[in-house]
Amino acid sequence: MLAATACLIAPALHAAQGDERVAAPLQLFTPPPAGSYTLPPIQSAPRGRVVDEAGRSRPLAEFVTGRVTLLSFIYTHCTDAAGCPLAIATLAQVRERLSANPVAAGGARLVSLSFDPEYDTPDVMRLFSKTFEGAARKPPWHFLTTASQSQLAPLLEGFGQDAAVTEASGARRLDHTLRVFLIDSRGRVREIYSAAYLMPEVIVNDILTLAAEAR
Amino acid sequence: MKEPIAVIALLLAAFTLPAAADETCNSPYTTALIKGQEDYVHVWTLGVKDWGDGQDKLVTISANPKAKDYGKVVSSVSVGSRGEAHHMGFTDDRRYLWAGGLSDNRIYVFDVGKNPAKPVLTRTITDLGEKSGYLGPHTFYAVPGRMLIGTLSNTKDKGGVTGIAVYNNKGEFVAKYDVPTGSGGDGYGYDVAINPSKNAMLTSSFTGFNNYMRPLGELIKDGEAMKKFGNTMVVWDHKAMKPTKVLSVPGGPLEIRWSLKPGDNWAITAAALTSKLWLVKQEGKEWVAKEVGTIGDPAKIPLPVDISITADGKGLWVNTFMDGKTRYFDLTNPEAPKQTYEKVTGKQVNMISQSWDGKRVYVSSSLLENWDKGGADNEQFVRAFNWNGKELTPAFEVDFAKEKLGRAHHMKFSAKPL
Repeated sequence: MLAATACLIAPALHAAQGDERVAAPLQLFTPPPAGSYTLPPIQSAPRGRVVDEAGRSRPLAEFVTGRVTLLSFIYTHCTDAAGCPLAIATLAQVRERLSANPVAAGGARLVSLSFDPEYDTPDVMRLFSKTFEGAARKPPWHFLTTASQSQLAPLLEGFGQDAAVTEASGARRLDHTLRVFLIDSRGRVREIYSAAYLMPEVIVNDILTLAAEAR
Repeated sequence: MKEPIAVIALLLAAFTLPAAADETCNSPYTTALIKGQEDYVHVWTLGVKDWGDGQDKLVTISANPKAKDYGKVVSSVSVGSRGEAHHMGFTDDRRYLWAGGLSDNRIYVFDVGKNPAKPVLTRTITDLGEKSGYLGPHTFYAVPGRMLIGTLSNTKDKGGVTGIAVYNNKGEFVAKYDVPTGSGGDGYGYDVAINPSKNAMLTSSFTGFNNYMRPLGELIKDGEAMKKFGNTMVVWDHKAMKPTKVLSVPGGPLEIRWSLKPGDNWAITAAALTSKLWLVKQEGKEWVAKEVGTIGDPAKIPLPVDISITADGKGLWVNTFMDGKTRYFDLTNPEAPKQTYEKVTGKQVNMISQSWDGKRVYVSSSLLENWDKGGADNEQFVRAFNWNGKELTPAFEVDFAKEKLGRAHHMKFSAKPL
């Protein structure tokens, strides 16, 4: 576990110039109650194939339909504090909150999908899955990767997720905008969160809003 | 079981996030902030008949003093027609720049991510009117994966009742939200601005197509038409996209600038027709609007048309179109702004943009095709200035008339990839 997370605490690099650091997003409001608002469909989740923690090739649709899904792209050696570590921490907090609501937890899932298939092999993702008790708790948390860049590319394009490989001081990194996608049981993206927007209480209300639609 | 969460919590305590702001006036959801030297200034430019191809175009100027082509136009992308080019805004990932035409109701999407020196027109969205009933796409305000588009008018009667359209980043229509006409609302629209930590979205109000496309000299003599300007701002629950309160702000409140200081709960705007600064803030649980200052002599109708807040929220630039002045207000006490500087920066001035560090200020000339001045007063330019806290010093100028580019309007910055 330490090996898996140690990569997250390396000095952060960021494409932004002089990127100063401040606290995590402030939530200085009481969010509207779940079900008191609507989340219009933004776009369809793309079709394609992914590789699960056991190394099996499976349709992405198996992981973005049938339940309300919270999906983020990550790469496990990400060093951008405002990127993957924040996404993982937020999903963990959302899961913790959902675990108090067995009905909602039973109708939801979390997905972390790597956009670095060369480094993030199924073995690496399995390590993460084990760390976060992927399938052992509710809602389940799947750590997926893809077989190749060519298999990954249409998924990135379909979600509208940017990612660019850069080299800095001899270190390879993937510059990207942090986005977390909330997908309804029909595979439609209903909300997209970025760093300024990742508020677990709000996300849980959104999940409950979509879960109520399905009932 | 809790060990992973505990570790992540510790990591987060050590890590922090980028400031939820852009170089002072963009959406807080826009990433890749340029806090150092910008390399390019993109200028959304309204075409002028017989000036070059006469089309609306995105003009890109080299803005880094270290560049060989500093202060020069490095590219120009024409869009095929002339349709009252006005405002623009980056997508949240800053890869694309959306720009609107107030008369042709079109939205042009430029790729500025691959090579900011040479933007490429990648998409033209033509279904705004069909999908939403709105006309005059004005403000382009990024939220994650989507663009909020504040509009000015409607296709039915071309008056000022309008709303906000939402498109995804692929250019597909998502939803529409009418500006309220009840509870004191006039339904008019203009700018959109969000304070994420307060879940508060503000909209302001201008006037409809029937007015903004009329010659200004003719319009101001028409008493009935002059009544058809917005007099309200609306506070919205951004998460729910529901209006929660209508605020009375007479005289056409235009650009909205939230203080960028984390946790601050106020925004400022300028009312064009009354030449007043208005503060919108939360007092207790209630949002209120207060008149807090005067810009120039309102009797002379200086027409404040754009404002730019400093990154620390302690200063505000104001451009007034009619007298061609650029003014600086000390906002240390936002309840009582004080003008501390002014300079005539052109015979007509409209937009003003500043760098994140506040050291550079850019001014453009054009308001609207039929509202710009005539004859020798119809200067068309982008002028760059250096600001040392006391004096604006000219840095460079691009003469958009001499170069037959058009009427220079909205400006956005970009930087070369690191």
